[in-house]
Amino acid sequence: MPALQLALHFIRRDIRNRYLGSFSGGAWSLLQPLIQLAVYGFVFVYVFKAKVPGADAPGYVPFLALGLWPWVAFAEGLTRATTAIPDNAALIGKIALPREVLVFAAVASSFLIHAVGFCAIVLALCLFGVPVDLLGLPLALCGFVQLFILALGFAFLFASVQVFVRDLAPALPQLLMLWMFASPVFYARESLPERYQGWLDFNPFTHYAEFFRAVLLHAGEISVTTQTLALLVASLVLMLGFATFRRLAPHFEDFL
Amino acid sequence: MTGQQSSGMPSDSMLSKGLLLAQTRALSKSWPLVFRSRDRLRALWHLLSGRGHAATTTVLEGVDLQVRRGESLGLIGENGAGKSTLLKLLTGVLTPSTGTVQVHGRVGALLELGAGFHPEYSGRDNIALAAALYGLSADEVRAKLPEIIAFADIGNYIDEPVKHYSSGMIVRLGFAIVAALHPDLLITDEVLAVGDEAFQKKCVRWIEDYLAGGGTLILVSHSMYHVQKLCRHACWLKHGKVQAYGDVFEVTQAYLAYQERKSAGEPATRESMAAQGLEFHLLDLTLNGESSDVPLMVPSGGEVRARARVQSRDGRAPVIVFGIVRADGTPVYGVSTEMDGVQPRRESENVFSAEITFAGLALLPGSYAIKVHPLDPEGVRLFDTLERGLVVRGESREFGLVRLQHEWTGCTQPPAAVEARRSLLS
Repeated sequence: MPALQLALHFIRRDIRNRYLGSFSGGAWSLLQPLIQLAVYGFVFVYVFKAKVPGADAPGYVPFLALGLWPWVAFAEGLTRATTAIPDNAALIGKIALPREVLVFAAVASSFLIHAVGFCAIVLALCLFGVPVDLLGLPLALCGFVQLFILALGFAFLFASVQVFVRDLAPALPQLLMLWMFASPVFYARESLPERYQGWLDFNPFTHYAEFFRAVLLHAGEISVTTQTLALLVASLVLMLGFATFRRLAPHFEDFL
Repeated sequence: MTGQQSSGMPSDSMLSKGLLLAQTRALSKSWPLVFRSRDRLRALWHLLSGRGHAATTTVLEGVDLQVRRGESLGLIGENGAGKSTLLKLLTGVLTPSTGTVQVHGRVGALLELGAGFHPEYSGRDNIALAAALYGLSADEVRAKLPEIIAFADIGNYIDEPVKHYSSGMIVRLGFAIVAALHPDLLITDEVLAVGDEAFQKKCVRWIEDYLAGGGTLILVSHSMYHVQKLCRHACWLKHGKVQAYGDVFEVTQAYLAYQERKSAGEPATRESMAAQGLEFHLLDLTLNGESSDVPLMVPSGGEVRARARVQSRDGRAPVIVFGIVRADGTPVYGVSTEMDGVQPRRESENVFSAEITFAGLALLPGSYAIKVHPLDPEGVRLFDTLERGLVVRGESREFGLVRLQHEWTGCTQPPAAVEARRSLLS
């Protein structure tokens, strides 16, 4: 599969590009979410006195970590993929390559890096005595793959629209910020007023935050129906995104 | 194999047999007109709903090309004629607006300086990426790496970041990669011009070997020398349309003639002359019985009959001068009815005509113009000018404008090298 080989090449190149010329190299990808977690942990635990509701609820820091890591992978993948086409305009204008590869590589490299970070943080939590169910880790990684499918769908959609309407990339950080606070990343569904709790189901990311906590911390339950529905949504988004991308890709060069 | 534009060829069977490597049919490309951001939004909406673009500028229109295996085609034309757009359409970088492009086999394209190179990476890493873009596996890349490095011949720079390369080195590396790919179809844009003399020669030699080995080439160049040396056919694009397509010598000569005429300046139009109410003015000039504006093509040593009709305001018979100039305006020969003691024929009350025949034309291949002027009966005042292009076809390595009668004395038979070269040319 030449396209797959090309995709692997671009993923390697993308990961290398991130740390090319940086002093700490790949360690940075582990360090950055750790620092972020430390800051959030301090502010929420010691300043806001945040607690996860429930009698046998996990501590706030592991609760936050398991929601935050997938979110960072998701948000970063989307951000990088959205500008993937204009960023590689020089390449697209001179070499005939399947453009899907560029978007795929941008999302995949984010997910690869943060999946590694996710595993590392789970192990770190274990070492600190947090009751993490390590048997849930393979299942959690499957969840990562499913989240990747969802992210890829949005990425194709955003990347193709960005070529035509340049407003998307600058608006995206604000959009993602809203999206993050509309997802149960910093809070549990139970912390919301009762009448708003149902609304979370319309947010495709909700399932993933709750999924990781369920399989690793046994906080909450995930029904088969929710799981199937989430997979369906992810596949649909991917199909829609890919169809849009396919339709617009032949015209990219005219607008770059 | 003819280079003539063929219409309605049974080409699909040829494509499947691998004879035709590239084919375009009624190929057109237009860019959407996008001035404001609102236009971009509208374009997005139009594309999503499958309606195409609203307003466009056309850069390429109705191009029909066929490139068979083993053929070499040169694309020539002025800047902005659509040559690079055509190449991008052939390589699949651009999508045609209408018409079709079909390309078969492995295509090696050198479209622009350092296309696809990452400036921060070393030459070695960029070779790997470029090879991956061309669809080579990691093992194939490893096998070809020494060959590529040897061809590029840039010494220790191969391990330095590409941003430190000179433009010549980038071309060397790019060409070396394409050369190592052994493509079925090689497409190159004006990139050879950047390399130094030695490397240009190396590339030209490589392309010659490649062509001799059955390779197929599409070359864009402003160097008629390179086009004539490497290509058997040429296509002249003008304002996005095919102006001429066929044998390389005919097309390049027609193109050069056009270029020379353009730099010599366009003559004033017939209408403005007539409006001046001159004492004598030319009605028309026909060459070999045709009176179109297209340059007349004659073979070297052929015959040209020029006929001019002059309107005389007061019915007096004019003196008519015929002359041949090179396309840049250098006079070659001129003669008048008065010099040879003949009279133009009176066709009606006020119209006179004269015809002159140049048989066994001694002009060397190239582009010329035939000019005609009416003079007053005394042969003193010149009133009007009409000229038409004349292209003398053929291949010759002689210098100058005309072939003079000559004979070699005290020389032996031509040496073998000259013979060999002659057979190479034919």
